[in-house]
Amino acid sequence: MTGDQPNGSGIDRREFLSLVAAAQGAFVLGFWVPSRASAQTPATTPEKTLPGAVWAQDPATPEINAWIVVAPDDTVTIRIAQTELGQGVWTSNAMMVCEELQCDWSKVRPQYASANRDAREKAPEWTLKVPGGGATDPKSGGEPTFGNRDRTGVAGIPDSLYRRMRTNAASSVKDGRYYLQLAGAEARERLLLAAASLWNVPVAELTAKDSIITHAPSGRTTSYGRIAGRAAQTPHPRPEAITIKSPDQWTLMGTEQKNLDVPDKVTGKTLYAIDVRLPGMKWAAVKTCPVYGGDVKSFDFEPVRRMPGVRSAVRFPIPDPALTRGRVFSGGVAVVADSWYQAKTAIDRMPIEWTVPPEHAAFNSENMRAALVAALDRPGMVRVSQGNVDAAFAGAAKVIEAVYSTPFLPRARMEPGNATVLVGSDRVDIWIGDQSPQETRFSAAKITGIPEANVHLHLCHLGGGFGRNGNGPQAEHAIMIANAHRGTPIHMLWTREEDFIGTTYRAMGVARLKAALDADGWPIALDVRTAMQEGGFGPESSFHVTSRYHVPNYRYSNHTTKFHVPVGTRRGIGQAAHEFYRESFIDELARAAGQDPYLYRRELLARTQLPYKNDMIKALDMAAEMSSWGTPLPPGTARAIGLEERGAEGNGMATISAMVHTVSVSQQGKVRLERVDVAHETGFGLVNPLSVKKQIEGQIAWFYNDAMHQASTIKDGRIVENNFHTFPLSRIDEDPPEINIRFFPTQHWLVGMGHDRATSVQSAIGDAIFQITGKRLRDLPYRKHDLRWG
Amino acid sequence: MAFDLIVNGVRHRIDADPQTPLLWLVRDHIGLTGTKFSCGIGQCGACTLHVDGRPIRSCSVPASVAAGKQILTIEGLSPDGSHPVQVAWKALDAPQCGYCQSGMIMSAVALLREHPNPSDADIDAGVTNACRCSTYHRVRKAIHLAADLMRRA
Repeated sequence: MTGDQPNGSGIDRREFLSLVAAAQGAFVLGFWVPSRASAQTPATTPEKTLPGAVWAQDPATPEINAWIVVAPDDTVTIRIAQTELGQGVWTSNAMMVCEELQCDWSKVRPQYASANRDAREKAPEWTLKVPGGGATDPKSGGEPTFGNRDRTGVAGIPDSLYRRMRTNAASSVKDGRYYLQLAGAEARERLLLAAASLWNVPVAELTAKDSIITHAPSGRTTSYGRIAGRAAQTPHPRPEAITIKSPDQWTLMGTEQKNLDVPDKVTGKTLYAIDVRLPGMKWAAVKTCPVYGGDVKSFDFEPVRRMPGVRSAVRFPIPDPALTRGRVFSGGVAVVADSWYQAKTAIDRMPIEWTVPPEHAAFNSENMRAALVAALDRPGMVRVSQGNVDAAFAGAAKVIEAVYSTPFLPRARMEPGNATVLVGSDRVDIWIGDQSPQETRFSAAKITGIPEANVHLHLCHLGGGFGRNGNGPQAEHAIMIANAHRGTPIHMLWTREEDFIGTTYRAMGVARLKAALDADGWPIALDVRTAMQEGGFGPESSFHVTSRYHVPNYRYSNHTTKFHVPVGTRRGIGQAAHEFYRESFIDELARAAGQDPYLYRRELLARTQLPYKNDMIKALDMAAEMSSWGTPLPPGTARAIGLEERGAEGNGMATISAMVHTVSVSQQGKVRLERVDVAHETGFGLVNPLSVKKQIEGQIAWFYNDAMHQASTIKDGRIVENNFHTFPLSRIDEDPPEINIRFFPTQHWLVGMGHDRATSVQSAIGDAIFQITGKRLRDLPYRKHDLRWG
Repeated sequence: MAFDLIVNGVRHRIDADPQTPLLWLVRDHIGLTGTKFSCGIGQCGACTLHVDGRPIRSCSVPASVAAGKQILTIEGLSPDGSHPVQVAWKALDAPQCGYCQSGMIMSAVALLREHPNPSDADIDAGVTNACRCSTYHRVRKAIHLAADLMRRA
């Protein structure tokens, strides 16, 4: 079916029922400049097309190290190994380099790092050993996390040049900070050494600031641009002895910096993958079987063959699950034409029949939910068992039980999946917005049989990301289609409807939480069962629901089922659902105890021994104070509080915040998030607090959507909501008019900001609805329910 | 059938099916890619541009409707990002991924033409573009700032 044919092509060419040989000889590519946009225009020569040529060998613009090129005019190009998808990494990564390099920030130009070079070069030895005492040592490098060496690049490649080219797990700062600072420091030291040798003075007498090197005793100065050629030839004698600045020494990091990619985003100049145009390029529109695991039974190209612009039709198999981390998508057909709209028009009229696995077509949301609920009653995997839960329940003054559920949810990024691929005889070029270029490089090699060292990725900004593997098989589709059209660049673009098939989904989940309360309403036992489909990342990741709140007897078990939907990351993994369960249930317990939900949480945190409990209490206190917690509100308006934390069960890195949400519900049942007060820790330091604020603002609306509107349902094995008329996105009229964000310092390194930073919107709206209407709702999204009152 | 599209003041002779949605001729025939495709059914507004000064969702309008009329895209708003709406967007660092922002900005420009001093309710009613990064909080502030800048100009 797929993948491992002896020729390594990943495609059995006999499967192509129809294929116009569009290849017209080798297409020589020597003109590519990553963007029209100034911020993306490399200060160096573009990547040469000769196999084995390195990224930059122009003597006028010497490379100091793999991250840094200094041009004679002092422009500093900083290579970014993560993908800009709105989170600000283009800017924050550059800030971390610039902080140490001591270059002029106004002359910094980010540029994507070369994934091809990453395939051919090893990481410098000096980047590999992270010093210091870990998460709670401000002078430490932090704890970059890499999996074992895995040539697929799924977990990054710990010893390849850029190591971690993936953009995921909110970890770009966490994993990159140490060696990006170090790269800046190494380059700075070599620039100083070069100046010292030129002037024949001790390097200790030199200082560097804003790209100027000064020798105070003699009054001599030079610029980075002038000395860069010499520095490029000056090795550092002991790079392992170079140290990085701790947060108390930061001058650029920790300040609010506007994002370097923004000016081009307000003029339409930013180049997304969908905007890539190449000479001779053809467009591909695709249709894949809407039931996952299905494939093409037949298609008839004849009726559309002579439509304007149409060139060919090509069938492609289910992408090899080895290339999609075990997820089974669908087989499909592509029509290739001169323009995309021609291709799309033709494929819409092309007769296609599908082969659908009947067991997959039998799935629908109702029987899937029932299967998850049934799984709760089967023995699960017990992740935590403390004390004697059953005995405690026997002696309870009161027992509270609740079942919560969360639906399948897609990322629904605004830019539909697409990629442009040119497969030559011994080289593959790919233009793509990609959160995992190392994996895509591996896929290209596997599908085409061309070695990874000859695969060149030209990375573009992404029109929304929200989950590394959420991109689904966009690259694999494009590579398979282009591999059947060698010599011709093929731009494959999904329709919005295809994007809803091609994405991975946050798994549907249910949870049953049961608490035994003592006579004062404090929990003495808690029995938590959660169910998600296998691969849903909730259970496997062992999120200890409610363990953040003290309970002497506690049991937590996971229960799984097998479904056919490809599930994966969606702005986090299962954590958002689990925090919804936990925070909702704590609200219910507080109400059952007749206690204030803020103070109830506070007391239960205070009773724990968790290392970061004081940070969690501080967050609650600050958010409550910001919101004027407890003061009167107009009728139909209520406040609810919630805690967000990641990693607070241990003493490693963590990210902690609390929010108070002020919510109104009209008597007609219209919900409005009126105001959000956010207390967020900084850890030892935020790199770019402006980007952090933007992340919090955006995620409040993201989780508002999760709470109020969004759900993907399954019918006959298919995703029902496949465009924005049935899958609602909130608009500006639903954005909270008031968001107040305050930061407080804490004594550990943060995990990251990219996801799960406003999960409390979900439970808080639920508790506010309860306060206002008396209805306790446990099944998201809330719009499904009748919210009228009075 | 050939027809003329006048985009950002430049007349283009187009040889294509006039039923093709305007978006695709602007992006693929004329080569202005700042206007974006996202839903294809006129829901999200990523494809918003102006025809004779009115904002339209170009993914769902046949090009023939715009033939001979004045079409304005994000590229025609200013040569250098100096339109007050663009200046305000930069001042507030409004975009995240940026993909919807061309359409969002074109909607805001149209709103401010109708309502030079828009209320929040005017913004709610007039800017119905979808942003998945949810930049709405800064977009709202940026619209108010742009209105200020335009009044002072």
